[in-house]
This record gives sequence, C-alpha cells and structure tokens, in this order.
Amino acid sequence: MIIDNPASHFIFIFHSLAPLGKKYTVRNQIEMTNGEVLQYWGKWIILGERAYLDEMARKLDPLVEQEKIPCVKYDRTPSVNLDLEECVMMVYGDRRDRDGIFQILRSFGVKLKAWITEKETMELWLPGGQLLERWLAGTDFDNVRKDIMREDARMRLTYIFDHPDEIFTPWMQ
Amino acid sequence: MSITVRIPGSLKDWFNGKTEISCTGNTILECLENINGLYPGLKNRLFDDNGGLHRIMIFLNGDHIRQLDGPGTLTEDDDEISIIPLAAGG
Repeated sequence: MIIDNPASHFIFIFHSLAPLGKKYTVRNQIEMTNGEVLQYWGKWIILGERAYLDEMARKLDPLVEQEKIPCVKYDRTPSVNLDLEECVMMVYGDRRDRDGIFQILRSFGVKLKAWITEKETMELWLPGGQLLERWLAGTDFDNVRKDIMREDARMRLTYIFDHPDEIFTPWMQ
Repeated sequence: MSITVRIPGSLKDWFNGKTEISCTGNTILECLENINGLYPGLKNRLFDDNGGLHRIMIFLNGDHIRQLDGPGTLTEDDDEISIIPLAAGG
C-alpha cells in the first residue's frame, strides 16, 4: 500500500494491514527489539528522479504486500537542504535477508549497490552527527529551536541504544 | 583485474556523463587513485583537506567501507564499488 500524504516529506509503502497495527520490524513473525534493529536492520539505497522512484514504488508495492520486503520510503522531492539533487528511496529489511531483497531490486534494473545499517543512520542523526547538523544548518531555525531539535533527536535515538531489550517502536515521519 | 564503479545520475559529471566505469586496484584507495588518473580532480571531490571522505559514502559489494577497513579495504576482480552522497544514506 503506497501512502502518499502531502503533509509528509516521504512517501511510504507499507503492508495494507499496517494501519491496523501490523508492524514491519518483524522477523519470523517475532517483533524485533531495539537491539536487534540496531544489529540487523538497514536499507538498500536507490537514487533517481521522482518519476523513476514512483514507478519503482508501483513495482515494489505488491512485494511489500507479499511480505518479501518489509517496507519502503522515498523522498517526495530532493532534500536540497542536504545538497541532494535526486530523490532517495530506502528499501528496508533485515540484513540477513538483504541479498534476496537486492535480487528483487536488481531484477527491476537497480545496479548501484549500497546497504546502510539503521545503526549508522541513527548515529548520523544524533546531535553532532553529520546529517543532523547539516540539516539544521539548512533551516532558518534560531539557535534555541536548533537546540530543541537536537535534544529531541538525542532523546528519541539514545532511547533505542539504551533500551536494547524493548520492542522497537517506529515514529511518524 | 576489473572492478566496476557506479555512481548515481546526479554525480555523472564526475565521469564525463557516465554512471558506470571500470577501474583497477588492490584496495579501495588504489581504485580511487586509478580513477583519479582517468578523471583528474576526482580525489578532491572525494577527500577533504584532512584526508577524510568528503560528503560521500563508498560501498564495496554493498557494504559501507566504514564498516570494513575504510579506504584500505582490499578489492578483488569483479568487485563492485558504489559511491553515493553522504546525505543519501540518511
């Protein structure tokens, strides 16, 4: 199910039962903990024009519904405040399943092969992390607002690192 | 030995309009130096003044080299190197 809410920067592909509570950080029908997400969760990166990613999304949608791919998210527009000229699609999964997922992507013509762990992504978005600081630098937030954003990121992300045995709970983007 | 290097379309001016080229080298760094010989100035795009990777991520067969041995990561024939902007990894 493609979820295209103009209020969000991202377009998502979730299983159609996700609005009813079906989670995507699940493996062998068991919900993953924070520690497991940090250890195993990640995504394949696809870059391209919006129209190309829209077409890719239409191809991947049934595979998410078939639970061959847990979920997908991609940019509505390029993140120019992060100096990106193309939209980015993230095809999520457990790294133990990543080769099978990439075979699917390769069958759809994807050649560039880039797997990024969710742990590394989270570290980039912690206070002082390259991506958080670059994103903040590209906003018109004053220093007070920037510090509020840094604290929000710190609380949200360090909770995951500090509570490895809790079931992972994603947040709205 | 032939190693494939791929970049996204937004970076194709690095390789004179191509998004895929071949290179040789026994490590990632050697491959980048080999490419720099073909496309002068590439190293300056990739590395900052301190020798750190500058706003990009490099992957070997899908794995981020930071999770491997960095620029010193060994490469083999038929390997695939992918380079993306750092921000695309977030």
